[in-house]
Amino acid sequence: MPAAALRARFQPLLHPVVATRQRFRAWWQQRLPRTDTQVLTQRNIYILPSRAGLMFGATVIVLLLASINYQLNLGYVLTFLLAGSGLVSMHLTHNTLRGLTLQLRPPKPSFAGSPVVMDVTLGSTGPARYGIGLRTESGSADSLTWINVEAGGQAHAQVSFVPLRRGLHAMPVLTVETRFPLGLFRAWSVWRPAATVLVYPQPEHPPAPLPPSHTSPSDTATARRVSDGGEVEGIRNYRRGDPLKLVVWKKAARYLETGGDLVSRDTSTAARHELWLDWQHCAGLPPEERLSRLAAWVQVAERGHARHGLRLPGLEIPPAHGEDHQRRCLEGLALWQ
Amino acid sequence: MAVSSPSFRRRSLPRDARDTLFLLAVILWTVLPHVGHLPPWCIALTGLVLVWRAHLAFTNAPLPPRWLPIAALATATALTLLSFRTLFGKDPGVTMAVVLMALKTLELRARRDAFVVFFLGFFLVLTHFLYSQSIGVAAAMLVSVWGLLTALVLAHLPVGQPSLKQAGSLALRTAALGAPIMVLLFVMFPRIGPLWGVPQAGLAGTGLSNSMNLGSVGELAVDERIAMRVRFPDRSVPGQRLYFRGPVLTRFDGVLWTPLSIDYPLPIRTDPLVTTGAGVRYEITLEPASLPLLPLLEATPDAPSLDGIEARRREDLGWALSRLTRDRLRFTAVAFPEYQLNQGTLTDRQRQQTLQLPDGVAPRTRAWAEAFRARPDLVSATPAQLAAALFRHIRTDQYTYTLTPGVYGEADSRAAIDEFWLDRKQGFCEHFAASFVVVMRSLGVPARIVTGYQGAEAPDGEGWRVVRHSNAHAWAEYWQEDLGWVRADPTAAVAPDRIFSSRNLRPTPGFAGGALATLSPDLLPQLRSLWESLDNRWNQWVLNYSRGQQLDALARLGIESPSWQDLAKLLVLTLSGLALVGVAWAWWDRQRQDPWQRQAAAVAGQLRRLGLPALPHQPPRQLAGEVREKFGPPGEPLAALLMVAEHQRYGRAALARPSRAWLATLRTEARRLLRTTSPR
Repeated sequence: MPAAALRARFQPLLHPVVATRQRFRAWWQQRLPRTDTQVLTQRNIYILPSRAGLMFGATVIVLLLASINYQLNLGYVLTFLLAGSGLVSMHLTHNTLRGLTLQLRPPKPSFAGSPVVMDVTLGSTGPARYGIGLRTESGSADSLTWINVEAGGQAHAQVSFVPLRRGLHAMPVLTVETRFPLGLFRAWSVWRPAATVLVYPQPEHPPAPLPPSHTSPSDTATARRVSDGGEVEGIRNYRRGDPLKLVVWKKAARYLETGGDLVSRDTSTAARHELWLDWQHCAGLPPEERLSRLAAWVQVAERGHARHGLRLPGLEIPPAHGEDHQRRCLEGLALWQ
Repeated sequence: MAVSSPSFRRRSLPRDARDTLFLLAVILWTVLPHVGHLPPWCIALTGLVLVWRAHLAFTNAPLPPRWLPIAALATATALTLLSFRTLFGKDPGVTMAVVLMALKTLELRARRDAFVVFFLGFFLVLTHFLYSQSIGVAAAMLVSVWGLLTALVLAHLPVGQPSLKQAGSLALRTAALGAPIMVLLFVMFPRIGPLWGVPQAGLAGTGLSNSMNLGSVGELAVDERIAMRVRFPDRSVPGQRLYFRGPVLTRFDGVLWTPLSIDYPLPIRTDPLVTTGAGVRYEITLEPASLPLLPLLEATPDAPSLDGIEARRREDLGWALSRLTRDRLRFTAVAFPEYQLNQGTLTDRQRQQTLQLPDGVAPRTRAWAEAFRARPDLVSATPAQLAAALFRHIRTDQYTYTLTPGVYGEADSRAAIDEFWLDRKQGFCEHFAASFVVVMRSLGVPARIVTGYQGAEAPDGEGWRVVRHSNAHAWAEYWQEDLGWVRADPTAAVAPDRIFSSRNLRPTPGFAGGALATLSPDLLPQLRSLWESLDNRWNQWVLNYSRGQQLDALARLGIESPSWQDLAKLLVLTLSGLALVGVAWAWWDRQRQDPWQRQAAAVAGQLRRLGLPALPHQPPRQLAGEVREKFGPPGEPLAALLMVAEHQRYGRAALARPSRAWLATLRTEARRLLRTTSPR
């Protein structure tokens, strides 16, 4: 990290052109209004000849020179046909984007380090549009998602980006571009979506062992379930050295399918015991890594159907389980200061 | 079961392979017409590379390493040098372009490579026009351009597997939309002369020759291509009077007849020409020729105005051009059928040149001429009487006119005239003309051979008469003090048909032509004349379109003494005007109100008529609520319509622009509501 920070700090000195360009781009994008529905009009579509377009221009000039020098009227026809088609293709390229409506669906929360999928709906009232590419502004040119929009129809495109840090993130700036039909011009538009996405801390992998749980006399629900079924319901992640008979095979199979680990019957902790995932349990780690570990524990505990509470400095979520509870815990971790 | 039917395999071909095969097919189509101009190794190499590349595409095999095309290119360069001794010029250039194109297909790695192939393809299309600009070539190349554009469009349809038909129609649409710009530029782009270099001789095909030995006109006789077209706007002229003067061959070295000089510029001095009687105005469209001369009707004293080329009269009444032409020339001139050239004057030098006979040439003919001269009735005959007597001799002494006389002078080329004049007596125009001149010179009469075109076909609908290379002819001129140079066509004496019906030397039709002719004797000539009139229009309107026509059009627009600079100005003005129209439209489009706001204003207007306040900030949903409140159940349809608008504007399937049909329905509904609720 320090190396990267240093590089970032000294970049203006090392690469003045790149840095200036980045600053200009940032300033430019600041001026764009944030919106979740963008209609592409003449005001926000840019168009410039592509490299192939410049090559094409050079070809047309060579053809024109040859036609003049050899006095070829058919050469003039060819040259002007190509010039006319090239000029028309500029308008066609621009028209491919003009009047297109872009809509972003509210994104689902994600974990840091794993991709967030942006679901974009492209709507067209005019004729069919071909070869529209979408990517995040910072993504490479190869990362374009290509899509066609039928006449008067809609199409869905998915663009993903990988957030590196937890917290509430603004959606990245999107670029929509096209070179259809001849590739001589590139028309593009830059769109700053208004939506935000919540990014949870990146779960520690592999997860550390869960902290020990405490008896909770108040938790009657679990206790009753245990006494009724006469069976211990507590489940925890498989640990090295667990005897095979402790593995809950039925559940393990399901978890393995969804990418989880083996689970073992937790004999040491009774189900009526409740689990506190505490900031203090991760003593000795930097804060972000503590949050990562806690996020991993929340996942493991939820997978094990164990009731768990979360305790952070300034935040305490009482023990419970279920999807809502997990989301609350992860949100707490994501937004913790 | 590795075997699958070809159709199944074609259908299951991956997109990349299909696109590559399509591009290869387009390349093949573009290169194919060049086969006649390419050395055999180039044809073999190109074919091999294209087939190999197609195989790689079929089997989805990796492309060869980069050194291979580079090595092949180096080899091809060496072979080109070996074949042509140079890398520059038309044929070597085309050869290299074809090789480059084929080898580049082995390098289609990035999109940039594909663009190189496309642009090389357009360049190759142009090279075809260096050889021919006929309708057929134009049509074939139009297909090529379409194919290349289709491949280009295909490369920019990245989603799914678009059909070739779809890509083809998109390319066609682009080209069709570009066509008006093409026409505008074609019509208005000023035709300026070559920027550098001069067209080389020998490119435009055979025409008249600058020299003659017995046999060369015989080769021309089977050349059915059109040399020029002539039209007489004022009055018709019979075919036997149509002598278009080409090179005058005076110098004779015993085998070869050549003009006195072929250089340009020529000596300023021209022989005195006196014209009598009325002139005949005529128009000529001259095809590109391999000689820098104008075959004008005898006798045209004044230079026609030509575009960018200067024409000068030779001393022998021929017309020379300052350079070769690549495009058709179209001009108007006036000829005077009655003229006297060099009347009363002939310099000693000219007399010597036109009497010159090399020693040892045609000794028997010269002896025969001595005997001829000694005939009692001809002892004191004038040159004209001598010529008439020679014509009588030709008519009565079993000379025959034939296109296949066989070879003369095989044993001794200097005896060729003897063999013809005294022994076999079979030949065509140049045999007769050459022998006539030799005999006249032997008789002490200055004489020379004139070559050119004689006769023309019957006029077509627009009065144009076709003159073909097969109309090439050779005749003679002799000089008499009081008449000047007199035309004498000895061929007319033996084959008056050849002159009077101005039927050209047509070869027997081939097998297909013969079959057609048996089917319907008129069909072949009809088809032919149809095609030729089409070809003529093509020449007149497309190929012959030159600065002359451009400036004529400017003059018709009222510009006095227009120049190409005026044309350039007009083009720039037109283009700027069009660009301004575009800018104005863009500005109007920008200033246009947001269509949703317009719709909201229209809706508010309707609701205000119904007595609702309808404030601008209220969305349709609120307006619907107010409608329901005020009108109750009768207002329900209107409220529902407003809810539809809400969905159209803000819902999941929101429209980019408001629907006009919806507004029309709303208006109807609002009117209905107004009628039903208004107090009676």
